[in-house]
Amino acid sequence: MPAVQDTIDRVRKIDVDQYKYGFETTIESEKAPKGLSEEIIRFISAKKNEPDWMLEWRLEAYRRWLTLEEPTWARVEHPKIDFQDVHYYAAPKTQSGPTSLDEVDPELLRTYEKLGIPLKEQEILAGVRKQEEPSELNGELASDNIYQSGRVAVDAVFDSVSVVTTFKAELAKAGVIFCSISEAIREHPDLVRKYLASVVPISDNFYATLNSAVFTDGSFVFVPKGVRCPMELSTYFRINEKGTGQFERTLIIAEEGAYVSYLEGCTAPQRDENQLHAAVVELIALDDAEIKYSTVQNWYPGDADGKGGIYNFVTKRGDCRGDRSKISWTQVETGSAITWKYPSCILRGDDSQGEFYSIAVSNGYQQIDSGTKMIHLGKNTKSRIISKGIAAGFSQNTYRGQVSAHRKATNARNFTNCDSLLIGDQCGAHTVPYMEAKNATAQFEHEATTSKISEDQKFYVMQRGIPEEEAIALIVNGFVKDVIQELPMEFAVEAQKLINISLEGSVG
Amino acid sequence: MNMHAQPQSTPAETALIDAFGERLSHLPGDGEVALKRDQSVEALKRGLPTRRIETWHYTDLRRLLTAVPEFDATLAGKPAAPLIEGSPVLALLNGVAARPVAIEGVDVERISEKLGDGTYAPALGPQGADDAIGALNSAFVADGWLLNIADGTVLDKPIELQNVQAGGQVHARLAAKVGAGVTATIVERQTGSGDALVSCVDNVVVGDGSHVTWVIVQEQPESATHLGQFNAWIGKDAKLTLFFMNAGGRLVRQEIRVAAKGEGSDFQLRGVNLLSGDTHTDVTMVLDHEVPHTGSREIVRNVVTGKAKGVFQGRINVHQYAQKTDAKMACNTLLLSDDGEFSTKPELEIFADDVQCGHGATVTEIDHGHLFYLMARGVSEKSARGLLVKAFLAEVIEELEDEQLVEALEAKLDRWFATHG
Repeated sequence: MPAVQDTIDRVRKIDVDQYKYGFETTIESEKAPKGLSEEIIRFISAKKNEPDWMLEWRLEAYRRWLTLEEPTWARVEHPKIDFQDVHYYAAPKTQSGPTSLDEVDPELLRTYEKLGIPLKEQEILAGVRKQEEPSELNGELASDNIYQSGRVAVDAVFDSVSVVTTFKAELAKAGVIFCSISEAIREHPDLVRKYLASVVPISDNFYATLNSAVFTDGSFVFVPKGVRCPMELSTYFRINEKGTGQFERTLIIAEEGAYVSYLEGCTAPQRDENQLHAAVVELIALDDAEIKYSTVQNWYPGDADGKGGIYNFVTKRGDCRGDRSKISWTQVETGSAITWKYPSCILRGDDSQGEFYSIAVSNGYQQIDSGTKMIHLGKNTKSRIISKGIAAGFSQNTYRGQVSAHRKATNARNFTNCDSLLIGDQCGAHTVPYMEAKNATAQFEHEATTSKISEDQKFYVMQRGIPEEEAIALIVNGFVKDVIQELPMEFAVEAQKLINISLEGSVG
Repeated sequence: MNMHAQPQSTPAETALIDAFGERLSHLPGDGEVALKRDQSVEALKRGLPTRRIETWHYTDLRRLLTAVPEFDATLAGKPAAPLIEGSPVLALLNGVAARPVAIEGVDVERISEKLGDGTYAPALGPQGADDAIGALNSAFVADGWLLNIADGTVLDKPIELQNVQAGGQVHARLAAKVGAGVTATIVERQTGSGDALVSCVDNVVVGDGSHVTWVIVQEQPESATHLGQFNAWIGKDAKLTLFFMNAGGRLVRQEIRVAAKGEGSDFQLRGVNLLSGDTHTDVTMVLDHEVPHTGSREIVRNVVTGKAKGVFQGRINVHQYAQKTDAKMACNTLLLSDDGEFSTKPELEIFADDVQCGHGATVTEIDHGHLFYLMARGVSEKSARGLLVKAFLAEVIEELEDEQLVEALEAKLDRWFATHG
C-alpha cells in the first residue's frame, strides 16, 4: 500500500466502514414469523424433520430459558434485546435439502464466491461440485483437484440451514462423519443423543439455553478411534436475511487417539439493525485424542458511528474427557459489534492439555469481552493461555479468564499471558483474570501488560521509509505473532490481512 | 449484576438490624449524622453481599458471617505494648478512645466528639452499593481518632493507633489529615482478646509533597471477625506507602481504596498474608489513577497453611486523562498445605493509551530445587522450608526503610512461624 496522500485520506474518510462482506444476497427465503414461542420451536423442529426426542429436548430448553435472566456481568453495553423481534428460522426457499451441490441455488454459490472465502474454499466448492455425486467420486478427486495438498472440506451454513457440505464421501471412507447437525440428528441419532449437551448443559447460561431451544443448523464431526482426519474441516457461517438471528450448534467428537483440525469463518451483510448470533460449540476429546479449533470471526462490526453490527454471544467449551487428550482453541476476533465469548477447556482426563490463543482487535465502537476458562480437574493437567488484545477508536476490549485447580488436580500447571495494546486515547483495555488454586501442587503463572505502541519502535520503522500506518501494522503483526503462528497456514495469512484492515483508519 | 430477590434475612443480618435499634440511643450524633446512620442501615437491610456481587466474589459475606455478637459495654481492652518502643500511642479500648497523648505538630481529635457536633457527617455513609463495610461502620461507629498533621511536620517516631477489642462489637474510625510537606509514619494495630465483630474504616488524606508510611498490623484472635477499609487520597508529588500484615482473625476482609489525585503522586503497597487454621482472609484493593504522571507498585505475598482460604483482588483503574501512568502489581502465593486455597483476581481497567501497566500473579509450592540445595548442605527439611518461606516474605517487609519497623515486623513473622510454621 503506497502511502500516497489520497490513500490516507480515503482510509480516514471511510474509517471502519470498509467491511468487505457487507453486501446482501437477494434470494427468496422462507422465514418463520417473528417471535419465540413453543409454536415456533415446533415449527423449526418440523422443518428439520426431527425426531420427537429432539423436539422435547428443545421445548425443555425453552421452558428453562423462560426462567433465566440475561447476564449483565460482562463489560458490554447494549440496548435491551427484544427476543420477540427476531425470525428464528430463515432458509433459502429453493433449498430442499443439501443432497448435492447441483441443487444449490446459483445465487448462493455466487454469494460464497463473492465472499472470497479464505482458504479458497469457493474454488473448492466449485471444483467439487461435479464430484459430489457418490458414484464417480474417487478417481476424479485425485486427478482433478488442484488443492490436493491443502484440501479443506467445507460445511456452508446460510442463515438457518446448511446449504452444502463438501468431501463428505471421501471423509466417510476414512470413517469420519462430517455433516450438518440437522442431518446428524436424523442419520446418527445415537451419537447425537450421547454427546449433545454433555459439555454445555441445556441450561448452562442464558444464551446457550436460548440456542438449545432454537438452534437451526451447524456442523457435526465425528472422528472414530485411531483416525487422523485426512483433511482440514471447515464451516462457513453467513447471516443474510434481515431481522433474523443465527443460532448454530456445533458438535465435534474425537474418539480415542483421533485427531481433527476444524476451522470456522463467518460474515454478515452491512445493516443498521443489530442482529443476534448465539452459538454453542461443544468439543469432546477422548483418550489420546486431539482437537484443534480455529476461528476467524469477522461478523459485520457496525459502522463508524457504532450503528448496526452483530451481537455475538457464543458459548464454546471443550471437554478433555480422556487421559492425555488435548484441545486447542485459536481465535482471531475482528468483527461483531459485541463479542461475548469464552472458549473453555475442562481438563478432566489425567495428563490432558488445554490451550487458548486469541487475538482480539476492536475498532470503531466495538465491544469485546472475551477470554477463556481452564478448569483443571485431572492429575498432571496443563494449560496455556496467550491473549493479545488491540483496542483502537472508541472500542472497549476486555480479557476475562478463569484458571482453577480443584482439590484433586495434583500438579496442575498454567501459564497465562495477556497483553493489550491501545491505539488512541478514546478506547479502553481491561484485564480481568480469575485464578483459583485449591491444590498445593498447582503452579499458576499469570502476567499481563498494557501499553501503547512505543514511539521508539514506530520511529525506528518509519525512519526506514515505511509510512506510519504500515509501520503500525508491522508492529501489531509482531505483537500478535505468538498467536498467528498457531493458526493453520492459509488462515494465518488471511488473519494478518484482516487485522490490518480492522485497524485501518485508526491512525489519525 | 442479576438482582435476584433476596431470600429471608440470615440470623446475622437480623441481629445487625436489631442491634441498631438497641444501640441507636447510645450512638453519638444527631441531625445529619443520624440521617447518614439511617441511610447506612437501609443499605444493610438490603442484605449482606453474596458472591453474586462482583467485588465480593470470593467472600460471600452473607454466608460467612454466621454470628454477630452483642455489644458489651462492660468489657474493656488493655492497650498493647507499642510496636516500636517510645512511640506515642493513641488507643481505642473496646471501641472507646483512651486518654489522648500530646504529639508535637499533630492535633488529635476524638471521632466521638466530631460525631457529636455533626462535623463528621460528610465522612459517613457507604461508597456505592457494594460497600458493606462502609455501611456497617457508618451505622454503628461510636469513636475513633482523627490526626491533623500540620504542614511541614517531620515526625521522628511513628504514631501508633491501637484498636484493641475485648469482645462484642467494635466499630471504629481512624483518620488522618496530613498537611503539605509532612514526613510521618503511622502504625495501626488491630488486635484483641475476644471473639468480636470489628469494623474499622480509615480515611487518610495525604497533602502535597508529603511522605506518609502507614502500617497495618492485624492480629485478631482466631475467633474474631475483622472488616477493615483503608481509604486514601494522595496529593501532588506526595507519596503514600501502605504496608499490611494479616496474621489472625477467623473472617477477615481488608479493603484498600486509594486515589492518586495529584500529578506526580506515588502509591506503594506491600503486604503479607499469613494464613492458618480454618480461616478466611480477603484483601481487596481498588486503585484509581486519576491524573497524569502518577505511579504505583503493589506487591502482595501470601503463605497459606492449614485449611485457610485466601483472596487477593486488586484492580487498577487508569482514567482517560491519566496519561503516563506507570502501574505494576504482583501477587505471589505459596500454598503449603493440601487443604489451603488461594484465589486471586488482578484487574486492569485502562482508558488512557500512553501508559505502562502490568500485573503478575503466581501460585505455587516451595521450589524443590531450592529445598534440595539447602538440604544438601545439611539443613533439615523443616528448617529449610522455614528459611525459604521467611525469605519470601521478608523480601517485602525489608522494603520499608525504617530499620526499627522492619525488625519489629520480622519479629512478628518469627512469632507467627513459631506457632504455625
